[in-house]
Amino acid sequence: MNASLHLNLLKDDERFTSSPIRPRIMIPLLTLLSVAGLGVWWLLLTERLSGAVHEKAIREAHCAELTPARNQVLSLRAREKEVRAALTQLGFYRASRIRFGDTLMRLPQHVPASIQFTELRVPPPPPLPAPDPALKVKPLGPTNLVEAVSLRIAGRAGSSASDEAVRSLLDALRQPAYTNLIRKAEIPKGAFRQDSARGPAARESILFEITCACGERRFK
Amino acid sequence: MPQVSLTDSFTKPFKACSDVIGLEVGAGLSEGVPAVRLRKSKGRTELVAAGFLDLPGAVPVSPGACDAQTWRLPAPFRAPHAALAIRSPHAYLRHSAGGHGEETADRAMAYRQAARQTAPEMPPLAAGLPEFQAAWAARLLPEGRRPTACSLQVAAAAAMGGFAASSALARAQGHAVALFVFATSTSLAAFQDGRLVFYREHGVGMDHLRAAISSQMGIETALADSVLEDTLIDPTPVIEPILRPLYRQIEISADYLLRRCKCQVEHFFVNGLTVGGPHWAKLFTRIMTHNMTFCSPFEGLERTGQAVRLPEDVEKRAPLLMTALGAARTVLEDA
Repeated sequence: MNASLHLNLLKDDERFTSSPIRPRIMIPLLTLLSVAGLGVWWLLLTERLSGAVHEKAIREAHCAELTPARNQVLSLRAREKEVRAALTQLGFYRASRIRFGDTLMRLPQHVPASIQFTELRVPPPPPLPAPDPALKVKPLGPTNLVEAVSLRIAGRAGSSASDEAVRSLLDALRQPAYTNLIRKAEIPKGAFRQDSARGPAARESILFEITCACGERRFK
Repeated sequence: MPQVSLTDSFTKPFKACSDVIGLEVGAGLSEGVPAVRLRKSKGRTELVAAGFLDLPGAVPVSPGACDAQTWRLPAPFRAPHAALAIRSPHAYLRHSAGGHGEETADRAMAYRQAARQTAPEMPPLAAGLPEFQAAWAARLLPEGRRPTACSLQVAAAAAMGGFAASSALARAQGHAVALFVFATSTSLAAFQDGRLVFYREHGVGMDHLRAAISSQMGIETALADSVLEDTLIDPTPVIEPILRPLYRQIEISADYLLRRCKCQVEHFFVNGLTVGGPHWAKLFTRIMTHNMTFCSPFEGLERTGQAVRLPEDVEKRAPLLMTALGAARTVLEDA
């Protein structure tokens, strides 16, 4: 076995690498560049953050300036919505209006001479149910889409043939000339009676009532 | 498995060298700076490139003469690592009684030293180089460019290291005496079981032979090599007085090995001789009654790359590449 005769006089610090990439230069350089890169990144981040904070403050101030106007717009919109709802409701009322005039104009010709009307009226609709207290906005009108309508006729017949006269009037109301308005006409039970309230002289007078069910009132 | 810390892996990013170029600095050859590139692959050592590079290879002789020069090598010689063998009159290589080469050749000069126990019961072998020369040589190959220095050796140690790893010594079963002929000196090394057991340096080199031939035959020194090669003139009478003391030292060394180490030396090798080999061998046989074997530094190496077909003048001057090759091979063997 040969003993090496390598008597190396080169010092460790004189040994260099032949590679163009020198670790003892590249490592500190890369470290320095990394630190510098991080510093630049941190500066950019800080600057962006500062910009964002500044812009947030500007926008908040702008929002504060616009808030009264916005509230005003919102209240106007709410009011506009309310008015529009009222107008719509009014439109419904207009559309649901039932015209009694023409029908009632033709009624005198069918009323016998012995009959005197004491009342002719359209009874008001039954009261609406109490609104739901949970609702914030109270309805402007009836919430039902249809409403029953009736016509009440009351009077007295003063002759011996008062019965026939009342029947004649009832039949007239059932004629086609009235069916577009009056769907059903009848004398309620007990509504055909002697008029005893006016004394013996008026015992021949008969009081009567006719109830007519009219077409429904539609809110559409 | 050795533990390597993270710090070490960054500060010492050098793994085992497997591709090394050996350069002999300060050889003073007119051909250029001897350079040999070796690569170790799958346990075999390959010769990749060899030649003489046109570089300013003079070693500064004083600290004030150190210029800041850097070398850039041709592409075939750009191995990752370089082993520099320095030939300097101030350098020394000797067995050290002190153990770690703490003795200095010149107290007035700061020395960089290294020592190694080459064989049991033998004083360590110490090498020393003036600090300014070592520092100058370490800066020749700058960082970030191939190659960079991984080893700095004294020339004689590099040459011996190359021989110690050679196939010639292996063939001799590790028992041999080897001569390393340089310009101004000749190193004598004795090996037992492949270990260096004895080293001496003699102040007789090729330049002394050339000077003797020049002065005694009346020819220019530049023509001395042709006289040594020419069979028409026998220069033996001129060179014998110079070589005889050297051969006498070899005889003493062989006797020392026989007495001290009980080792009969039968193999005598000569390295670094470019001309006059037959005259050396003839004289050696006459004095020592043994044969002398001349070693080629490329012997036993597989060739690859540029070294497959080396220029003829490089092949002819191959012994002059002994030190450069030895420097590279020593690193490869030590890796």
